Amino acid sequence: MLKMMSSFTVLATALATGPASAVDVDPSIPAYSKSSGVDGSLKSMGSDTLNNLMTLWAEGFMGQYPNVKIEIEGKGSGTAPPALISGTAQFGPMSRPMRPTEIDDFEKKWGYKPTAFRNAVDALAVFVHKDNPIKCLSLEQLDQIFSKTRKRGAKSDVTTWGQVGVTGEWAATAVSMYGRNSASGTYGYFKETALANGDYKDTVKEQPGSSAVVQAVASDKSAIGYSGIGYRTADVKAVAISNETGGECFDPSPETAYAGDYPITRFLYTYVNKNPGRTLEPLRAEFIKYVLSKDGQEGVIKDGYYPLPAAVVDEDLAVLGLKAGS
Amino acid sequence: MTSTSNLAPTASSNLSRTVPAKADDVRSRGEPFTWLLGGALALGCLMIAGLLALVVWNGFVTFIPKPIEVLTENSGAISAGERVRQESFRPAPDVVAKLSATARENVAGNGGYATRFLIKTGNFDLYGEDFKWVADFDVATRSLPRDMVLVERMEWGPLIGRLIGMTVDGTSVAVTDIADPRFVDAHRAARDRWRKIADLERDDIGGINARIEQERLELRSIELSEGRGSESYRRAAVTYESVAAALAKDHQRSTAEAAALVDTNKGFTATFADAQGTSKTVALDAIVRLYAANDLSWFDKIAIYLARWWEFLSDDPREANTEGGVWPALFGTFTMTLLMVVAVAPFGIVTALYLREYARQGRFVAFVRICVNNLAGVPSIVYGVFGLGFFAYLVGGTIDEVFFQERLPSPTFGTGGLLWSSLTLALLTVPVVIVATEEALSAVPRSIREASLACGASKWQTIKYVVLPRAMPGILTGIILAMARGAGEVAPLMLVGVVKLAPALPIDGTFPFIHLERSFMHLGFHIYDVGFQSRNSEAGKPMVFVTTMLLMTVVFGMNLAAILIRNRLKTRFATAAF
Repeated sequence: MLKMMSSFTVLATALATGPASAVDVDPSIPAYSKSSGVDGSLKSMGSDTLNNLMTLWAEGFMGQYPNVKIEIEGKGSGTAPPALISGTAQFGPMSRPMRPTEIDDFEKKWGYKPTAFRNAVDALAVFVHKDNPIKCLSLEQLDQIFSKTRKRGAKSDVTTWGQVGVTGEWAATAVSMYGRNSASGTYGYFKETALANGDYKDTVKEQPGSSAVVQAVASDKSAIGYSGIGYRTADVKAVAISNETGGECFDPSPETAYAGDYPITRFLYTYVNKNPGRTLEPLRAEFIKYVLSKDGQEGVIKDGYYPLPAAVVDEDLAVLGLKAGS
Repeated sequence: MTSTSNLAPTASSNLSRTVPAKADDVRSRGEPFTWLLGGALALGCLMIAGLLALVVWNGFVTFIPKPIEVLTENSGAISAGERVRQESFRPAPDVVAKLSATARENVAGNGGYATRFLIKTGNFDLYGEDFKWVADFDVATRSLPRDMVLVERMEWGPLIGRLIGMTVDGTSVAVTDIADPRFVDAHRAARDRWRKIADLERDDIGGINARIEQERLELRSIELSEGRGSESYRRAAVTYESVAAALAKDHQRSTAEAAALVDTNKGFTATFADAQGTSKTVALDAIVRLYAANDLSWFDKIAIYLARWWEFLSDDPREANTEGGVWPALFGTFTMTLLMVVAVAPFGIVTALYLREYARQGRFVAFVRICVNNLAGVPSIVYGVFGLGFFAYLVGGTIDEVFFQERLPSPTFGTGGLLWSSLTLALLTVPVVIVATEEALSAVPRSIREASLACGASKWQTIKYVVLPRAMPGILTGIILAMARGAGEVAPLMLVGVVKLAPALPIDGTFPFIHLERSFMHLGFHIYDVGFQSRNSEAGKPMVFVTTMLLMTVVFGMNLAAILIRNRLKTRFATAAF
């Protein structure tokens, strides 16, 4: 199971059974039921994309068990593996799957691989200023805008909005790109899917946080930037994305994400250090159960992401040797 | 130019400088400089005042209750909310083409520009958005209904709507006015129960848990030192079992009591309908505060304003720090800064004393001095890295291995915490104290020292009774500067102990009361977190301003306290000298 599904085609098959309409937790995911004898302290260190979500879960979990203490730090997905390896943190939220080198490092120290479970579905949104008339961009156009190597095969570079089909006064406006810093899993994921592992242009302005990207785009009329859908504000617009130029465009929405139509959809993960020969101790087990319960998945909606379908929840609970609602 | 003449008595080498022949020339040449210097000062003051005014203004207005506008758009859509801000924009040609003739004329008359405003609609749980831009030309009607209520909730942010009913103990009651005594009483009772539950959980159950954990650790440390098979371990295990069983019984009783209150609260709810008629039921104990925004007297407004400030200062944060209060961050900032002063003051003063009074002035001391001055220029994040590597991992790791073996593998001191943060900041600010202290020591006239020595006092006696008291105000100035710098520093703290959410304060009622190893929250980091990490940056903005204002007030307050102490010392030594 550790072969984390990273491509959206696999995601599509996994999610095809998911809920089809508005953002609501899959009704077959049971509510969290409190168990007894849970206390102690936990620490989570990792993704900045998942930072708020982790905090919401921690608040909810501490509401269930007032004596549990949870500390949250989120400086980027890249900080999760070292924290798990050294034992500083019990949970390592990541917005991308661990890289093979990171898994190797972990295995060297502990003798087994880290275990991941999926937390939420994120449609990685491409944001532009709310007045920008652009309707749709293809992956190839994103590559042309953001990448200097253009691994998707386009010949020409895109530097103005006119080159991606915007007319009128916008045509001559230069595109101003915003992105994340390289410690971020969002940076890596966008590079992998949209840029086909090409390199970012040097002119992409790197921002320290997901929300910072959105704020930058909100205050710069000619801007484009990528960030988790959860960070959308009224000042920016999420552009529809198509797989091919001229192909069908898909708005980022729960439906398109679950169906796998929206091309840059991903799972958000949390890694734990689980010895395969042993069961998880109650504290961590209960936290995971909480995250994968109706209550935890409501937190996902609260943070603007899309909740997991029941099939994924069941699968991940089984991998961790846990049972929902017990 | 004029300042050289003031320095002349101390710097004799300046005497050799060529003096212009005519005094008039100097003055006429000096005039532009005076303007330049004065202008620079004025500009600097203006910028600082502007920044302060921006922060203070935005901070002060945040908590004022705003009216709720209900807008019907031409398309028939209804939205209700507080107006946040407005801007003028140029609508796209296809939008203008669809407008009515009069609206089109209005836009054309404004040179193609129209106004739009951002309204905070709340109700995030119903529609998945909490802010909305509405263009002026889209609005058909606008009203301020008196029964529109803003509900501040524990979760999901604000709700805006009308009260359409409630349940009391499970049975529904027809109440549609939030001022109805039945509603007010039920709400108050539910909140009281909620507070009681929180107290029970934190103090009673928390205390019991802490004691169980303490007993367990004691047993574990006996196990580590004596071994599992030893007689003393077996005896300790028996005691542990009996104590744990007794505590477990207490635990059960308190838990049952809390559970009963939770059950009672489930029966008390309120149902609201938003502007579009969608209804939403909220548990009464989850309503922090509610008010009919368009039906408030001045007195009500002031009461809400003050209540919000109190909540902000005294409550824990909610909803991933974007709502609720900042008490843990405020407390953390204060404690950390005080600890830093405790560490930095003696260390800096002692260093400066040796450098100035005892060390033989020469190349080596000059070199050391240059190094100290350069330390002040090292980027603060470098101190953070050093603090993490040296204090947390090396020193802390060793402490854990020696003293907290029973808690391993989870680190106690071997990770970021209050102590390491304070020490890292002390390191960061120690050059300021050294430089200021040295200046203060060198400002004590030689004649006074010589008089003391001539009276037969030893060197140490001279320093203790003559030099230090005279230098004390200057030294305190250095400490004040260090404190101001330390309280506002964030970057190194992110590495050595500041976290987004710290579950417990570094000082509390459980033994040993001051927990130097705990991570803590900090106002500076809170600003960064809410401003750049929260889900909706629009919603977080007011909190950023308020928190910034609070941080500045804390720094200002601590400086003021230090200045008052300095002034007292000044007068004391002035009288003691004669």
